[in-house]
Amino acid sequence: MRPNALGALLGVAASAFLAVFFLYPLAVILARSFTDGGAPAQVASNPYYWQRLGFTAGQALLSTVLTVALGLPGALLFARYDFRGKRFLNAAFTIPFVMPTVVAGIGFLALFGPRGLSGLDLRNTLLLVLLAHVFYNYAIVVRVVGGFLEGAAPRLLEAASTLGAGSWRATLRVSLPLAMPALLAAATLVFLFCFTSFGVILILAPTPRLATLEVEIYQLTAHLLELGPAAVLAVAQLVLVGLVTLVYTRAQARLALALPAYRSALPRPRGAARLALGLQLLLAAALILSPLAALAVGALQGAGGSFPSFANLAAALRPSGVLGFASLGLALRNSLLFASLSTLLALLIGFAVAYAVVRGRWAALDPLSLLPLATSPVTLGFGYLLAFPALVAHPWGIPIAHALIAFPFVARSLLPALRGLDPTLNAAAASLGTGPLRILGRVELPQLRSALLTAASFAFAVSMGEFGATLLLVRPRYATLPVAIYDRLGRPGPQHYGAALALALVLMLVTGAVMLLLQRRGRSEF
Amino acid sequence: MSLHLHELRKHYGATRAVDGVTLELDERETLALLGPSGCGKSTLLRLVAGLEAPDAGHLSLDGSDITQLPPQRRRFGMVFQDYALFPHLDVGQNVAFGLVELRWERAAQRERVGELLELVGLAGLERRRVQQLSGGQQQRVALARALAPRPEVLLLDEPLSNLDQTLREALKDELSGLLSSLPVRAVYVTHDQSEAFTIARRVAVMKSGRLAQVGTREEVLEHPRTGWLAHFLGHRNVFEAADLARVPGAPQRGPALLRSDLTRVLPAADGGGGTDAVVRGVARDGLRWKLRLALPDWGIELAWEGYDRELPGAPTEGQQLRLHVPAEAWQELDGA
Repeated sequence: MRPNALGALLGVAASAFLAVFFLYPLAVILARSFTDGGAPAQVASNPYYWQRLGFTAGQALLSTVLTVALGLPGALLFARYDFRGKRFLNAAFTIPFVMPTVVAGIGFLALFGPRGLSGLDLRNTLLLVLLAHVFYNYAIVVRVVGGFLEGAAPRLLEAASTLGAGSWRATLRVSLPLAMPALLAAATLVFLFCFTSFGVILILAPTPRLATLEVEIYQLTAHLLELGPAAVLAVAQLVLVGLVTLVYTRAQARLALALPAYRSALPRPRGAARLALGLQLLLAAALILSPLAALAVGALQGAGGSFPSFANLAAALRPSGVLGFASLGLALRNSLLFASLSTLLALLIGFAVAYAVVRGRWAALDPLSLLPLATSPVTLGFGYLLAFPALVAHPWGIPIAHALIAFPFVARSLLPALRGLDPTLNAAAASLGTGPLRILGRVELPQLRSALLTAASFAFAVSMGEFGATLLLVRPRYATLPVAIYDRLGRPGPQHYGAALALALVLMLVTGAVMLLLQRRGRSEF
Repeated sequence: MSLHLHELRKHYGATRAVDGVTLELDERETLALLGPSGCGKSTLLRLVAGLEAPDAGHLSLDGSDITQLPPQRRRFGMVFQDYALFPHLDVGQNVAFGLVELRWERAAQRERVGELLELVGLAGLERRRVQQLSGGQQQRVALARALAPRPEVLLLDEPLSNLDQTLREALKDELSGLLSSLPVRAVYVTHDQSEAFTIARRVAVMKSGRLAQVGTREEVLEHPRTGWLAHFLGHRNVFEAADLARVPGAPQRGPALLRSDLTRVLPAADGGGGTDAVVRGVARDGLRWKLRLALPDWGIELAWEGYDRELPGAPTEGQQLRLHVPAEAWQELDGA
């Protein structure tokens, strides 16, 4: 298809935005790490920072191993069998993706915190951090690996069985080797997520012993004001994440097997497989639902253990003048406002990027649009602090940062949709006398509606839950729900804890409702 | 020494995919299981392979009941419609897959793989990735893989249906020669009757989960039992009893088939034999003429096919001819 002027124009606009609000802040961090007299040497010679690096990589590796160990059997069973409730479960698996870190963090606190329902206080233990990481990433392994195998594995396993390979042998000789590339992809993703873990650590293990690099950068910036070392750590983290991503994409390209999709219905599990599947489902349900349920129960529990009680909610609604917490009303208003603004902005940038890649000659924007995903939110927030000090007190600072974090999801969702559009429809419209802009409005956008709605729902959820960048850029007046929750957690006293639970419940419900609403409408298009 | 299917049944909800099938397969025999799509033939094959469990009935091999035996212990080789080659293994590893399960020695495996690739005409391609093969080559690898562990029975599920026309024709003949030369009994499922009759001497025609007719290819082709079978096998001239009231020599009790290949077209002037025929339609299929002939004296119309030499000159619409119909051209059909 002929590249059009609109595509070229949008490419220029998107590039300019990315250059100013993404590349420039990173460049400022880089410059700062070198210009701050001796900061690199100071960091490199301090064993504490090496310890942090070791811990960060170690806990990420451990989380990955644990997640894969728990998720792989589930993935293999998912790919192999059909069962009642599978579709529902697949939908339930998106919950950890979209639930704000803070919500899951508080959920685990409600289960295993000092005042947790289990009676077991695991706060400030590595175990609790690992548990939360598994919660976030279990579904990634099951969905990525299970989804990869689902089309091909059943038929190939049948072939294996006619060749004399029983269930275990076939798993060993067929399923596992086939799953390897997907497993590697999923494991790398899990590793990267856990490597830059921030909210989970801040909430569940606020002790220097368990601080990741990301937490360290935040502490250096926000509390110690040591911007030089912070910049060095941010650059080091960026380089490491970039390297892992690079190795991963290389390995992917080499390992990638296009699995044929066979037309075959999945069988229902029988015998031992049924038992194994049942156990996996139980595990998944316990993992995903128990922290959320604990959060709900905790939030609705009164002082004397009465249930249901709205005391926590009432406490959250009260503005607390002395301590400067945002009330539920203010935080909710801020969150919804910022989420709406950043969703709009993310849709504009994401669409501009996708359109420029597909319709203009801007193919280079395609990989570039992935970079913000590999950049940690704290690094981005830090970059804004350094590059645009004026943006910090400004109401647009947070929405712009959120939009930048969210737009890759939009671009990723729109790119395949745009590429899938039938160019003859545009030709037909043009032959009927429609210009490029009117084609966009009357032919292309209506076809992209579903993808746009899905993208919007993800952008909205990202913004509602965003924590790292917000924490660095926020001023009390603009506190979002996650920030309000975190503020209360940091104060002693059961009333603050209760109010934090109530706020987290509201955040969970609002995020869930918006996702449900937008995705429903997105799907019903077909 | 035989594979015996006894009253096999498989239902999916209200659908009776396999509805009481009894069938016997002798040693070294190739049986074609022929039927339209959705008739249950693939399900029947999957029951035999052990990939599905029957709701009722049983299956025995050489006298021992194997109904409950899982597929991996049946030693039945299967060639899938979509090949189902393992994408993570190369050609040689694919063919050796079953040998590994049988704990064959490395050297013996290598030898057997070479032997089979030779047999299917892919000698020397051991190290090739399966994704680099053409559809026809993949089909050959699938066949070699199924044959390698010397299966008790070879099951082929529409093995040629994903190939293009030319390749299918070539492979059809090749497969026919291969199967008749190998000491293996085979069940060949297909919806294509030319494949069925090329590859197998014995053919079972399946309809709605049941066997409509089982017999040698000649029996099935020349003496279809019912009107449905006659239609399905390409016979065009099936008549109801009521239509044949004025036809001398035709069966009167039930529906009947008129085998046009046994009739003879004569010039109109020839008073000797036959009945009057008027050409109502003329079409060609390659070198063959396809005519619609009306027989005014008998009150019926029939389709007739033949070459130039069987006609008194090029046919034209409205042309008067005579048609000789010997008694053996009429065949009575079961009213079903």
